[in-house]
Amino acid sequence: MRFRAKIVDLASLNHFSRVINTIAKLAKTCTLRLTASRLYFILSDKVANGGIGMWCELCQGNFFDEFQMEGVAAEHNEIYLELVPENLSRALKTAQSAKAVKIKLTNKHCPCLRVAVELPSLSSSSRIVTHDIPVGVIPRRLWNDFREPSVPDFDVSIYLPMLKTMKTVVEKMKNLSNSLVIEANFHGEMNLKIETDLVSVTTHFKDLGNPPWASEDGCQSSGQGRDLESMAEARIDIKKLLQLLAGQQVNPTEALCNIVSKRVVHFILLHEDVSLQYFIPALT
Amino acid sequence: MAVAAKGQGRLQEHLVEGSFQNKDFVRLKRRKQCLPPHHKFSLKCTGNVQCFLLSYSGENAVNHFFFKLKCILHCFLFLLVFGRAIHAIARISDEFWFDPVEKGLALRSVNSSRSAYAYVFFSSMFFQHYCWTAAAQPCQKEKQLSLSCKLIIKSVLPVFRCVNTLERNVEKCSIYTNINDHHITFQLLCRHGVVKTYNLTFQECDPLQAVFAKHLCPNILKVHSRLLADVMIHFPTSQEEVTLAVTPMKVCFKSYTEEDTDFSKTMLTEIQLHPDEFDYFQVGVDSEVTFCLKELRGLLAFSEATSVPVSIHFDVSGKPIAFSIEDMVLEASFILATLSDVEKAPASQQPPCPSQLQESSKTHLGKSEKPSMGEDSNTEAAAPQEPQGNRSAPDTGSAKPLSPLGKHKNTPQVTRKAVTGTQGAALGEAEEHGLGREATASQYQKFHSLFFGAVSCKEREAFSHTFHSLATASDTEEDFGNMQSSQVF
Repeated sequence: MRFRAKIVDLASLNHFSRVINTIAKLAKTCTLRLTASRLYFILSDKVANGGIGMWCELCQGNFFDEFQMEGVAAEHNEIYLELVPENLSRALKTAQSAKAVKIKLTNKHCPCLRVAVELPSLSSSSRIVTHDIPVGVIPRRLWNDFREPSVPDFDVSIYLPMLKTMKTVVEKMKNLSNSLVIEANFHGEMNLKIETDLVSVTTHFKDLGNPPWASEDGCQSSGQGRDLESMAEARIDIKKLLQLLAGQQVNPTEALCNIVSKRVVHFILLHEDVSLQYFIPALT
Repeated sequence: MAVAAKGQGRLQEHLVEGSFQNKDFVRLKRRKQCLPPHHKFSLKCTGNVQCFLLSYSGENAVNHFFFKLKCILHCFLFLLVFGRAIHAIARISDEFWFDPVEKGLALRSVNSSRSAYAYVFFSSMFFQHYCWTAAAQPCQKEKQLSLSCKLIIKSVLPVFRCVNTLERNVEKCSIYTNINDHHITFQLLCRHGVVKTYNLTFQECDPLQAVFAKHLCPNILKVHSRLLADVMIHFPTSQEEVTLAVTPMKVCFKSYTEEDTDFSKTMLTEIQLHPDEFDYFQVGVDSEVTFCLKELRGLLAFSEATSVPVSIHFDVSGKPIAFSIEDMVLEASFILATLSDVEKAPASQQPPCPSQLQESSKTHLGKSEKPSMGEDSNTEAAAPQEPQGNRSAPDTGSAKPLSPLGKHKNTPQVTRKAVTGTQGAALGEAEEHGLGREATASQYQKFHSLFFGAVSCKEREAFSHTFHSLATASDTEEDFGNMQSSQVF
């Protein structure tokens, strides 16, 4: 099992750092899956994670100038590692002016991702900063736990409002309640509601638009044989929603969510070269 | 405009008096005053400060001793530097010694496990106005009383809390002592006429001073603080200990790991530098020293404020490492103990062969002087005591038994240093306190402690500190605008 990659371009490095920072805010520990062409940051929706699921996919060519990997076996040319994204985020944080960043899988005392940052210095030779991030190698028999989640059979699919606005609203609501109801309909309307003994607050968003999903069997397409105004709703943990919204460092090109009434809310955030899916289960 | 006047002895003096206005304007007034013998004062005014000083002193008619100190900080830069110094010292310990002497103001601090010592000295020239006065008893010659007191950092820190905004808001900061009720007053004159006064109680006691001969260190590095800060930023703020490894070819800072580190859980960081990056690079012996990073960060912030390069003096592992900065108006030293890898014996065993451990620590024993611990001048033991902890007397003669390692520290590292004032044993009562408290600082298990001696005090004598200070004197100090000569004392 081998892996080595290199980033030389500063813009790509910053972009990659931002992605890692977002992941670090969403999960304490997650799985990194490496294939020849892509990287995935996965959080499988186990009870241990609070039922949260995350799937983040990057195309390696958009970030790395060099990328070589050799999986566990020829027919399973993939590597699954368990790591703490916060460590990776920290290693890259101080690499903002780096000449080059190399990432390598090593096994000195234990399996590690070695991040070597070459920084410019006053003398002729550069300064090298090395971070050894411990990782766990996930054996092949457990790979099934990390399959890509399928898009759930949703009741409503709607574009999200400006994430910044949504974040501000949810942030204020967090002070009043632990859970929040998110509801939306096919008319482009979404409401965020909280209710306590003393107060109930609802924020209404209008004209958001609904994404057109290719209908496989006709029943998911917007509007057909469906009451446009009826809301699908789910009550979710406010903190988890805030984690998602607060972690966004760059505005996505597309942001939408799918609501399965009383079951789960599925968020999809698409950037140019990164896609992030986040599942928040409904509270019982 | 620069004004300077110096006075000494019985001569009639010209006192220059002025008032400080916010702007560049000074009123001078001359006044003659007879000064008591043995009294020295000096007035200086640095170039960019537009004001001057004034000074007065005297004795009261009934032969009371009094002591007064006043130093005034002005100039935005200076306030920032002073504030940073307090913050740096705060990282070492909860209390510090505030020790004004004729030449300037010394701040000292020691951490509870005696493995870190900070010393910052501001010469009188650092201050816009520094007035250290003392009156001597008529029958004693050349004796000057001095004040050395201990303050709680937590009380002082709020005064300089937001160091960066201090410069914008504070126009002047004055520090006065009032022996009578054991108070030191910090007064900040801020914008819009706001005056903040902090009266802090102090405890009188003799300060400690670490014994460390920098010039004996084979390895010396000198570098701008910016570089050190750039290096340390790569370590997480929670990183406690850092190892500095040098060879003549390279310098490496890395996270400290011990044998039982769980590598699968810890992220390790290592920074490699080329000797060319240092302003001065001398490596006499390859070494790897491990010291506490947290304690150092304060000094780094402080030295960045002063823009003075940092010198690092160190030796092999086990010997202390000193980070110091020095320029015309101030100097600072942070001396940190380093981990030693001499002890191979695990903690549970009986004390290792005393001679073996003593070997490592005795390499630099001074010939004659015995370093001593003088915390309270009264509690000096006359003879070497049985160490409860496991410090052996630095005496080459005695081989003190070492208690089981456990949580105690090893034999101290000592280098020679003249300690004139207090002599005595290696251990004073104070040690016990230090060791007792150490039980909680388990990360310093293997740190060698520093040796401490009482501050050499040619001028200090042990007389009772019964000062009377005149209330009027303190009051009139406050308004600089209309300086009347202080009442006849």
